[in-house]
Amino acid sequence: MSAQKKLSTLFSRYAVVIIFVIITVAAIPPSGLSIKYILQEIITRLGRNSFLVLALLLPIYAGMGLNFGMTLGAMAGQIGLIFAVNYGIANWQGLVFALLVGLPIAVLLGWVCGLVMNRAKGREMVTGYILAFFINGIYQFFVMYMLGSVIPMGNKAIVLSRGYGIRNTLNLESVRQSLDNIVMLRVAGFSIPLVTFIIIALLCIFVVWFKKTKLGQDMRAVGQDMAVAESAGIPVEKTRIVAIIISTVLACAGQIIFLQNMGNLATYNAHDQTGFFAVAAILVGGASVTNASIANVFVGVMLLHAMFVVSPLAGQKLFGSAMIGEYFRQFIGYGVIALSLVLYAWRTRKAAAEARLSLRGARSGPAKGNGKPAAGNGGQA
Amino acid sequence: MNDTITAKSAPQSKTRRRLVQGGLLVVYILIMVLMIFTGRRHTILIDNKDAADGSYSAINGMEVSVDKQESAEYYPGDRDRALVQGQRHTIQVTIFDGNTSIEKTFTVPLWSDMMIISVPKMAAGLEPWIEPFTMAEQIEEAQESGPPAGEMSFQSMGGGAPEETEETLPSP
Repeated sequence: MSAQKKLSTLFSRYAVVIIFVIITVAAIPPSGLSIKYILQEIITRLGRNSFLVLALLLPIYAGMGLNFGMTLGAMAGQIGLIFAVNYGIANWQGLVFALLVGLPIAVLLGWVCGLVMNRAKGREMVTGYILAFFINGIYQFFVMYMLGSVIPMGNKAIVLSRGYGIRNTLNLESVRQSLDNIVMLRVAGFSIPLVTFIIIALLCIFVVWFKKTKLGQDMRAVGQDMAVAESAGIPVEKTRIVAIIISTVLACAGQIIFLQNMGNLATYNAHDQTGFFAVAAILVGGASVTNASIANVFVGVMLLHAMFVVSPLAGQKLFGSAMIGEYFRQFIGYGVIALSLVLYAWRTRKAAAEARLSLRGARSGPAKGNGKPAAGNGGQA
Repeated sequence: MNDTITAKSAPQSKTRRRLVQGGLLVVYILIMVLMIFTGRRHTILIDNKDAADGSYSAINGMEVSVDKQESAEYYPGDRDRALVQGQRHTIQVTIFDGNTSIEKTFTVPLWSDMMIISVPKMAAGLEPWIEPFTMAEQIEEAQESGPPAGEMSFQSMGGGAPEETEETLPSP
């Protein structure tokens, strides 16, 4: 392979990462922020977001693409937190309680999500996205009407003045940063939430271990080719459901970790963009719809959030309005997802064309792609 | 032969699986209950006021700490609060006059949000020095007994309750 082709392949593979690094580095000087401040923010946001982004890995291994359905798990986590605040359970005990309340809800929602996705094979991403909207309606109904009317809420401070339904914003003061503050390391002027990072590290170890188990191998086989996996005796549908259930449960825990760090909960829309930002982060880290690793998660969270930290101030300095930076944040998030999907489709077509070319032999001349993916579970919406 | 063994062991393994599942469910619920018992937060109001019937009088300067939290100074008419977690707690009182110390252990009922400790009552050895505190009852009592005396001050009352705000969340 020539050096030019190698460079071209490298650029096409890491285009999103390269573009992102360039934009972020270029935005640092106009933002006027110190490197120390940016690094501290990245450390905080790594602890806050990494768990949620790690929840996306297993469905990618199982060939189900980026799990936008993780929003369902986030809703389950929020329900758990509402109950923890209602019963006045504070500190890490409140977080464990929220997790224990959210866990069965997450399992149920994950199972429903898996069943639906099995009926929409090849279109898992858009199905998950729309399913999240549907379940959001049920969540709104539950939180707005059921809590306080059907399910009694003892803590009147969190209930709307009409007597039922939860207030728009919940103060999570009782559990605020209770996980982060168990052990807060101070190293070279940086604050590192040790326990949060230990939990994230344990999840990474779990993912590595899980990939080596029978179920993990089955998931990878299903992700490679469902037909081959089926003929090899792997219960394809069951394996896919398990992948989604694990992802939803991890999203539930991830949302609890996220919200304890933030310290308040926007009851009706905190989960709205959970999936969106997690997906954007893993794509920025160099993952694709079919391929992701733990390294992609951390690189993605660091890059995306470095951009989030610097962009509002850079926008303010360059254009005289911080809102430009806020718009930029949204634009970058959606732009990254769109760019990754386009690049994925382009690479799939290119691979198909190259495969045809190698079958025909060099004499046949260059082949023109017809847009069909080569094999496997490509072409997810 | 093998078939017979498999046929016998199948219901056994099913029973064992059910037992394990049931055991896990019990452990799950037990952890939940444990979290409620150890994690439930209560507000303790520490009161240094005279009795309405004159049976005891406010302490003229003291330092109080609950569960080795940061101590606070109290003078006659003061009332402050401490947030505690769990049910069993210790209160330490150091009275400035004579430099005497009192240490008492008390238990807060699980579902009681707010309790009030009358330190003068406790120091006088009168029971009960710890009672449940309900805001509605206090308002009723205050309305019945008229406006509070001029020297009485509420450093802090209740609080900690989330307020309804419409502000947007910090960015993720």
